[in-house]
Amino acid sequence: MIVLGYRVRMEQRLSVPRSLLVMVPVFSVFFALVVGGIFLAATGHPPIGTYLKLMDNGYTSFYGITDTLGLATPLVCTGLAAAFAFRMNLYSIGQEGQLYLGMIGGSWAGIALADSLPTLVAVPVVLLFGAFAGAMWVAVPALLRARLGTSEIVSTLLLNYVALNLLNYFIFGSTGFFRDPTTSFPQGRPVAESARLSPISFFTDKVTNTYPTFFIAVILAVVLFWLMRVSNYGYETAVYADSPNTARYAGMNSAWLQSSVLLISGALAGVGGAMYVVGPAGKVDPGLLQVGLGYAGIVVAALARYNFIAVIVAAVLFAGLRTGGNALQISSDPVPIAIAVVLQGAVLLFALGGELFRRNKVTITRLQAAT
Amino acid sequence: MGALPFVANLAVVTSVAESSNSSRTAQPALEARGVTKRFPGVVANDAVDFDLARGEVHTLLGENGAGKSTLASVLCGLYRPEVGQVLRNGAEIRLNSPRDGLAHGIAMVHQHFRLVDRFTVAENVVLGHKSLSFVLATNDIEDRVAAITQEFGLPLDPRAVVGDLSAGERQRVEIVKALYQGAEVLLLDEPTALLAPPEVENLFVTVRAMTHTGKSVVFVSHKLGEVVDISDRITVMRGGKVTGSVRRGEADVRKLAELMVGREINIVPRRAKSPVSDVLLSVSQVHLERDGAEILSDINLDVRAGEIVGVAGVAGNGQRDLAEVIAGLQTPQQGNVTVCGTPTARAGALGARRAGLAYVPEDRLGTGLAPSMSIVDNMVLTRERGFLVDRKSALTESEQFIRQLEIKTPGPLTPTRKLSGGNAQKVLLARELFAVSGARVLVVCSPTRGLDVGAVEAVHALLDEARDAGKAILMVSEDLDEVMTLADRVMVLYRGKITLEQPGTDADLERVGRAMAGIAS
Repeated sequence: MIVLGYRVRMEQRLSVPRSLLVMVPVFSVFFALVVGGIFLAATGHPPIGTYLKLMDNGYTSFYGITDTLGLATPLVCTGLAAAFAFRMNLYSIGQEGQLYLGMIGGSWAGIALADSLPTLVAVPVVLLFGAFAGAMWVAVPALLRARLGTSEIVSTLLLNYVALNLLNYFIFGSTGFFRDPTTSFPQGRPVAESARLSPISFFTDKVTNTYPTFFIAVILAVVLFWLMRVSNYGYETAVYADSPNTARYAGMNSAWLQSSVLLISGALAGVGGAMYVVGPAGKVDPGLLQVGLGYAGIVVAALARYNFIAVIVAAVLFAGLRTGGNALQISSDPVPIAIAVVLQGAVLLFALGGELFRRNKVTITRLQAAT
Repeated sequence: MGALPFVANLAVVTSVAESSNSSRTAQPALEARGVTKRFPGVVANDAVDFDLARGEVHTLLGENGAGKSTLASVLCGLYRPEVGQVLRNGAEIRLNSPRDGLAHGIAMVHQHFRLVDRFTVAENVVLGHKSLSFVLATNDIEDRVAAITQEFGLPLDPRAVVGDLSAGERQRVEIVKALYQGAEVLLLDEPTALLAPPEVENLFVTVRAMTHTGKSVVFVSHKLGEVVDISDRITVMRGGKVTGSVRRGEADVRKLAELMVGREINIVPRRAKSPVSDVLLSVSQVHLERDGAEILSDINLDVRAGEIVGVAGVAGNGQRDLAEVIAGLQTPQQGNVTVCGTPTARAGALGARRAGLAYVPEDRLGTGLAPSMSIVDNMVLTRERGFLVDRKSALTESEQFIRQLEIKTPGPLTPTRKLSGGNAQKVLLARELFAVSGARVLVVCSPTRGLDVGAVEAVHALLDEARDAGKAILMVSEDLDEVMTLADRVMVLYRGKITLEQPGTDADLERVGRAMAGIAS
């Protein structure tokens, strides 16, 4: 490629220097901040000062970090769901729909089953039903993919819209099981008290937005990380991801691998939805629709480069941008939430662009005069 | 001059070519002076000098990685050298792309054809041609293509669809394409790799016809035997440098081999040393169809403990399918496969393995091994695994194999794609021959394809050792020399049928060659 008299050449790296594994994410965030700064300056806000406020509101203040951890909880789950499928080269983007279904499934269990159960049983039951509902939502795409080779990208995406309408129908369109019968205001029927967890106060007397489910999500990530390293299932999926021909050669059942990975991915996203039920919402809450945690999970997985432990970090980072951005919007010098969205987009763009530099060595030389 | 009659005219053409050599002008048609080309971590060409006279066939001989294809790519404009010059008829030229090369009358015919299957011969020939009219003058093009095929003895129908052609015919299309574009210098990169012996003869006739009209040919090859016949001069490369150059008549196969490898080599046939015993692999009346097409029909063969049965054939005659049927990866519509007494035709890959079958597929890195995974992880691939993968024993095993088989690798945790072809093949063979417990039958496909002479020797020694250890080995290979040096029995597979079976020790090479080309004898 020739740009302005310079020859830009890319050569694939045979081995990736360790320093780059750190440098690339750091520089992605840095350049994203620079781009966001341009937008801030253009809209008349001091970039550095705004960033410091964002930092404080998103990460360093007590309420900032607890809000962030609360928002990160379902995001860890959808991030794990995306990473789990993407590692197998299955590009399921149905986490959004599976999250809604997890909320619906979890709420059903919370309303119908949890009444007579102690919290220690009721909460796991709600989470399991959420996982089950999330997995079922991807069952049809999984089957189509494994049997007919249908693109899971399209089928899972389309089901997101079906899930969205299903959720709207349950709350706004009908007066059925999930609708709160005690009020004419359209909202979800609350689950049993025993199926709810109280927020963590972190040894203070303050009420936070962080629930114990955050730690469940973290444990989930660690267990997944470990299991996929040592188990035969992890081994077989890794072989399949690396080379489907090799998996076939070794006698692995590719239809089972593909469908099971999609189902587990759906279950992970579904748990995220159910965590919303046992945590802040306590019911089917259409408020979740506006947050886009399912799609954000894809971004988180990409930032974490599909590493389950890194998903935790990426989810917290990403959630902080959102909570910090929200806080800026209502501060004395209101910064539009759009700036936070620009930042999120820029981080993703630079992180993915950084992959180019991780995988390739780029050399720029001055073009010789033609003879 | 019309189409050349086969072989009979060869001597005449040869003498004409030589006479044109004697009257050659002082300036070579194409010359490389001090060409150096580096790739990350390797000097592919190190101050290489090369020249090609008008009307000459000059062969570049060398092992894989010797730098001969790199030099050819520099000469045709695909690569630019860091140091050195390329001269055409004595004047320096600068080539920034193959299109520049073409402008100077230099064209390369690649080993892997670059043709559009759905287009006709004529359409492929004009593909990429710059001065095409908006509406294709199809008749004119077809006439011109026909004229070229006539002149150079390249029998081809300009209206045939390329997808229907054999490998040899496709290669002719590539050559016609180069000639159509006005090439005076043709670089043929491993032109015989995909051809059956009679097709190679045809190619040689064409090459002679081209040099007769004053065109020059660079013939890139690693096959010693065949280049001696065709070349006016042979230049041998090793490790990016020219190690020697000989003229027609001075060429001695043994000496050339030494120049190639850098040491004395001895290619001795290896045969079973002990008498064969029980039948361990038996294939009977196997019939395989795919999409309504017959792939294999009525295949019957037995392999006994302590012997190697070689299946020869040109690529695409059902060898791979035969191997996959035996390995349980494809299920035949009819017939039986028995591995150590267990019927496995419908038992799948795992069933065949459990019955005692090991399989080394042709495609090492994409099928036999998981390329991004470590040697250790690849060792467990064909093992029985529990809920957890036992990498500890696999690590000890890998270290042991690395020592025993002298596998060159930074360590057992290196991804297999970073190994050279020979070392990757050693990993694969080690796993299939020794690591899989109890496997007594081995199916191995093109075990030395793309390997250098040293690695070929090592792989052959391993197979020989396994035979002596009482394994029953079925070796499917497109390399006839390999089959001839190793096999105790030779079979030829042509269009899904076994058309010839002979004992390996006194197989009639000519009959085998004809059978590979489908000529009944």
